[in-house]
Amino acid sequence: MNPIRRIRPTRAACIAALAAALAGLLAGCGGSGSSGSSGSSASSGDHRGGTLVLDWNGIGSSIDTAVDYDQNWTLLYMVYDGLVTWKKVGGAEGNTLVPDLATAIPSPTDGGKTYTFTLRKGIEYSNGAPVKASDFVRAIEREFTVPGPVGSFYQGIVGGDACAKTPKTCDLSQGISADNAAGTVTFHLTGPDPDFLQKLALPFAYAVPASTADKEVGPSNPLPATGPYMFDHYTPNQEILLKRNPHFKEWSKDAQPNGYPDEIEVKLSLSTEAEVTQIEQGQADWMYDQPPNDRLNEIANKYPDQVHLNPVPQVFHMALNTRVAPFNDVRVRQAVNYATDRNAIVKAWGGPQLATPTCQILPPDFPGYEPYCPYTTNPGDGKWHGPDLAKARQLIDASGTKGDKIAVICTPDEASKSVCLYFVSLFKQLGYDSSIKVLSAAVEYPYTQDSSNKAQISFSYWYPDYPSGADWFDVVVGCNGFHPNSTASANLSEFCDPKIQAMTEKAIKTSVTDQDAANQQWAAIDKATTDQAPWIALFLPRHVDFLSARVGNYIFDPNVLVGGPLLDQLWVK
Amino acid sequence: MLAFVVRRTLATLVVLLAITILVFLIFFHTPGVDPARKMAGRNPSPATISAIKHAYGLDRPLPVQYVILMKKLFISRDLTSYTNQGELVVPTIVAATPVTLSLVFGAAIIWVVVAVVMGLAAAVLRGTVFDPILMMIALIGISMPVFWLGEMANLITQSRYHDSFLFSWVPPLGYTPFASDPAMWFKHLVIPWLVLSALYIGLYARVLRAELLENEHEDYVRTARAKGLSERRVLLRHTLRTSMITFVSLFGLDFGVLVGGGALLAEVVFGLPGVGLLTYQSLTSLDLPVIMATVIYGAFFIVVVNAMVDVAYAWLDPRVRPA
Repeated sequence: MNPIRRIRPTRAACIAALAAALAGLLAGCGGSGSSGSSGSSASSGDHRGGTLVLDWNGIGSSIDTAVDYDQNWTLLYMVYDGLVTWKKVGGAEGNTLVPDLATAIPSPTDGGKTYTFTLRKGIEYSNGAPVKASDFVRAIEREFTVPGPVGSFYQGIVGGDACAKTPKTCDLSQGISADNAAGTVTFHLTGPDPDFLQKLALPFAYAVPASTADKEVGPSNPLPATGPYMFDHYTPNQEILLKRNPHFKEWSKDAQPNGYPDEIEVKLSLSTEAEVTQIEQGQADWMYDQPPNDRLNEIANKYPDQVHLNPVPQVFHMALNTRVAPFNDVRVRQAVNYATDRNAIVKAWGGPQLATPTCQILPPDFPGYEPYCPYTTNPGDGKWHGPDLAKARQLIDASGTKGDKIAVICTPDEASKSVCLYFVSLFKQLGYDSSIKVLSAAVEYPYTQDSSNKAQISFSYWYPDYPSGADWFDVVVGCNGFHPNSTASANLSEFCDPKIQAMTEKAIKTSVTDQDAANQQWAAIDKATTDQAPWIALFLPRHVDFLSARVGNYIFDPNVLVGGPLLDQLWVK
Repeated sequence: MLAFVVRRTLATLVVLLAITILVFLIFFHTPGVDPARKMAGRNPSPATISAIKHAYGLDRPLPVQYVILMKKLFISRDLTSYTNQGELVVPTIVAATPVTLSLVFGAAIIWVVVAVVMGLAAAVLRGTVFDPILMMIALIGISMPVFWLGEMANLITQSRYHDSFLFSWVPPLGYTPFASDPAMWFKHLVIPWLVLSALYIGLYARVLRAELLENEHEDYVRTARAKGLSERRVLLRHTLRTSMITFVSLFGLDFGVLVGGGALLAEVVFGLPGVGLLTYQSLTSLDLPVIMATVIYGAFFIVVVNAMVDVAYAWLDPRVRPA
């Protein structure tokens, strides 16, 4: 769905990945090189200076925090700040919230409906203006008034619903009160929201000067920065250059540490092939994109020390449309789940170093994850062991759908196509009249979302915005994620089971007060959904970071906003 | 003459209008195309989508949308990209043009000079072993697609032999403007120039040789010889000049197409941020405003270069000059 893969694993998973990776030649793991720097401060370290060069096979996205949805977040993260953020460290700790521009993380009052933040004093934008409490009201208002994504994240703020309906008359003065003299911002919600603080950590809620207009800022007039870097210039299709923000003083090493490189240059529009070559030659230091599969052997053999593998909380799957034949029959959905040889898919994706089979909706180390795999030979231990073709054939015979036509939809890249071709041949083997339907990457996702296209089965993946079960079961396989005849319908399976939905709503309520109890409920929901088989869950990918030889201090940030190394913590000197 | 210019301009406008309407219709009739969906991010609500549609006028009838697009492109010039709404399309194209011009002019100079020398040499050396050898080399040049040759050049100069003394001077893929560092500009472009010209050298050398041989038996050549002119003078001043007519009209077409975005593959392979790369990216991301602008830019250049060819024609061939 998106050129940069975002990720959030934990240290434990990382070690497991390392063990798996040792079987092959790819070695290294997030955080493994990180301890070297822990003693020295960024501002006084010997490693300060130089230009970090990054390659990105993209054209560059918006740099307006109200508009960009995770294309440029890696950069926005180093340039702007919100009230809270995720801790800038490797490992599982990277998923904990810490105060950023606020002095502390407040506990909600008024039954979970009110949050009051106090701002740190003396923080300035890169233009010298002070950061004020009213800036946060403006930031959230712009979410609604500048055409672009979002809305739903902040709709729970008093007045948010009206803003979403009629952006022109958006007024959040009832929902957010700012006291510039005292430096406090208070949010009033219409109901308790267990994920509200996580939502405030997203770049959408980052501070912007209160005078910022309701128009998207372009590459030539970026918003003033609060972080260690600011946009120096940005030529779409060519390059982005970050330079140090002269007004930045480190206020919290956990929230926004000072960076090592003096400049960060992003070269846009290169092919992934060229990116690999540039890193090999030391002309670039890191690539946003995953190296192409046919170069993996080369980099693993020749530069094993420069490759890092980390698991990511994504689940690649085939979305089965539960409202179109033959997958409207749960027996057929279960049958294809039984029949799928997940090892074959893993092989098509690049081998066991790059992917692990899975059968369920939630990824490992996610709140509420309990290993579960009913679709295997010898089920019981939660692991996948092998396909059960006999059971699959039985279920298909009982469904009477043999001979149905099935079009498997996928994008033109080699890895996706090989996965889809596997399913075309599997379905033929099971007695269906199957074919492949390749759609351009720009078209495929909106096409499969729109229920009027009646897409039967498509290759897809999902990752959460923040660690919460609701971001899976209330969105990608939940009733609230399905919008008929709209291209905005993340629930590709069109799966909506009233019983499971009731469980989901209960779990959301529980998580306001008791996270552990909620996690148990999420585990039950995960099992119930997996049994209904809206997906063929296929594998959990590992993220490949390929760095140039000169780079030091690699820290894999598990957070969704980064999904790669903490860029400004890399040494180039 | 004036009537000719007017007729020609009108025809151009009709062609441009037809092309833009066609591009527009194909775009909106491709299933799954929804610019608002793209702008809305990962998991938007249908309300967000309709708000974006409204803000960008995407909920209006197609003819109205077409007129708005054209107005923004030509009159107010504030057309913005769909993938990055802060990015103005017209300045982006203007910024990409020098890259494409640098690439195509350099390659054109190489291919014209080398093709003329090769074609002449092959014609003069006809009957010796060099003629077939030269034509074979030309055929090899024609047979190698730009994207393949480019990747091979990259493999050798950027990767495998980059550390050797031969290619250590080759900078990373990309572009440096002439104004900021002429030496770097040259280093960035010299390999793309050679790669892009390989195909055309082969083609043009073969065309020129064939023309030279055909014209050798024309009356005016015999007359020139009868006047007692030296062989060299006959060849260069008489035979070559008329043989260049086909060469020049071919050149006009190819050059126009390349400047208009036809150097797309070379630009993609070498990471040169010109109009071709812009076209390629706007096509892959279905960015209609940029697609539209690059199409119009391309059509414009093809028309302009063809007009220039007509003038060159008149200079080369007295028969087409107005009396």
